[in-house]
Amino acid sequence: AAAATEVAVEFDFKGYMLGKAESVNRALDRAVPLTHPKLIHEAMRHCLLAGGKRVRPVLCIAACEIVGGDEALAMPPACAVEMIHTMSLVHDDLPFMDNDGLRRGKPACHVVYGEPVTVLAGDALLAHSFGHIADTANYPSAVSPALLVRAIAELSRCIGSEGLVAGQVVDMESTGIEETVALDRLEYIHLHKTASLLEGAVVIGAIVGGGSDGEIDRLRRYAQCIGLLFQVVDDILDVTKSSEELGKTAGKDLVSDKTTYPKLIGLEKSRKLAEELLRDAKSQLEGFDPAKTAPLIHLANYIAYRQK
Amino acid sequence: GAFTTLASSSSLLSPMSSFDLRSYWTSMISLIQSELDAAIPIAHPERIYKAMRYSVLSDGAKRASPIMCIAACELVGGDRSAAFPTACALEMVHAASLIHDDLPCMDGAPLRRGRPSNHAVFGVEIALLAGDALFPLAFRHIVGRTPSLVPPATVLRVIAEIARTVGSTGMAAGQMLDLLPDAGIQAREPADVMLVLEKKFGELAETSALCGGLLGGANAEETAALRRYGRAVGVLYEVVDDILMEQRGAGSNGHSGKMKSNASVVGALGMDRAMEIVDELKEKAKKELKYLGDKFGDGVLPLCGFVDYAVERGFVVEAVGRT
Repeated sequence: AAAATEVAVEFDFKGYMLGKAESVNRALDRAVPLTHPKLIHEAMRHCLLAGGKRVRPVLCIAACEIVGGDEALAMPPACAVEMIHTMSLVHDDLPFMDNDGLRRGKPACHVVYGEPVTVLAGDALLAHSFGHIADTANYPSAVSPALLVRAIAELSRCIGSEGLVAGQVVDMESTGIEETVALDRLEYIHLHKTASLLEGAVVIGAIVGGGSDGEIDRLRRYAQCIGLLFQVVDDILDVTKSSEELGKTAGKDLVSDKTTYPKLIGLEKSRKLAEELLRDAKSQLEGFDPAKTAPLIHLANYIAYRQK
Repeated sequence: GAFTTLASSSSLLSPMSSFDLRSYWTSMISLIQSELDAAIPIAHPERIYKAMRYSVLSDGAKRASPIMCIAACELVGGDRSAAFPTACALEMVHAASLIHDDLPCMDGAPLRRGRPSNHAVFGVEIALLAGDALFPLAFRHIVGRTPSLVPPATVLRVIAEIARTVGSTGMAAGQMLDLLPDAGIQAREPADVMLVLEKKFGELAETSALCGGLLGGANAEETAALRRYGRAVGVLYEVVDDILMEQRGAGSNGHSGKMKSNASVVGALGMDRAMEIVDELKEKAKKELKYLGDKFGDGVLPLCGFVDYAVERGFVVEAVGRT
């Protein structure tokens, strides 16, 4: 543990994140070219290339690297995860859903392209993510089709009615109701709505990287912890930061009367919970090669201590 | 009239044998229905599963895509078990597209197959999410259920093909090109009418035949023939539909069992041209069927039956014994 801490101190996390995000942006740019019909591809690119920290794809790459794979190998699944994340935001922002006009500091897709194109651009990103991960031509060298099949099985479970969508549905059903949402229900929402896709990102990165079942299990638990952590921190930021600082509508959870961790257990206990989750996440990395754990340790720290 | 011309066109089947497409189709429908039923068990949160089941298991679904997929697999000598999961997945992505197309901000269709559309029953939010969940479920069904006799590389190809088909250069593109003129975003060009049909209907039929072939172990030449055959049949069905609708004087958008194009081929190109297109598409399909027939003999009969069915609509397909 001491060695890991030492490595972590020397590790240039900012450089790592920026470098990876740049690679991801280049790959995403190539993955969705501006072909005919232009309008839908413009909409897809507007959403996909709007910036963002690329936390999910970087997690995917880092998980691949920690089990011995490299960036190029993880890039198609990493891009697939970002396409899915973007798609869920795009659909979520629609007027008949969350009705948000601002996303990543820019006008939301439906504001620029209208609702029909937005629905279709989301669907197309979703479909494209699977096509992108399944196409062996996207990988730098021969990759095992069996591993890709396993990764697709994992990803499809994480984002469908047992994962991401389940979280969105329960979230929706918990909004605007009289009684306070219980803590376990809040946790269910976040574990599905947010943690599922982070879990998918990490696990498929580890799968294509050739990780053992044991390694994949530990990385899965790591991802679940930081997934929940991500949401707890998000809730905290929503009550403590302005829209300008966040690049999205702040205080929305309060306005819409949504249950959040600060509302349910208070700001102090929310911060304590965040600390516990961070510690749990890091403990899952203990069995790995200390020389390779720095990115995932710092990613966990980043999620815990980010300011937006 | 045009309908007489269509119906009197010589059948592809009758001179060859007494193959009964209706029985083949009907028996397949119940098998597909049971697999779909088992593929979407109701779990927590129930509403989303109910919404998914409502559209996927809807009565009166003809299951043309899955049956074409299975028929193509069997044609090239594959076991039908190899094609079944993909056949069901095709139905799931089809249902997802229909749910989204019916949304108020899209086609705004209150009815589908004669009953309330998904959002009319479950609300627009759940309807959107049911579609969003059916796409991944389709891919999950393929990777999880395809028997191990199919190589993983083939499974990946099938997934890539289906993804392309429903994506931004396929069905989503067709839907967009179809919707934009009505939304006042873009003018409708006569030439776009055929492009919309190719994208919205040709692509799904193409992929259905192609994936069946891939899963059955077809070689490159055979899959290319299946691809061309499927695309021709998919578009053919729609053009004939358009002609029949014109003759019956029905409105342009009936929202029956499948997706409908808002643009009318007859309206844009005229009845004479529409009839010519029917002949051209039939010729295209026949050419591929001849190649496949020379190679595989009577195995090609189910695929011939689709062409006849597209033109003649000689029978009503119904599921037996299940809801």
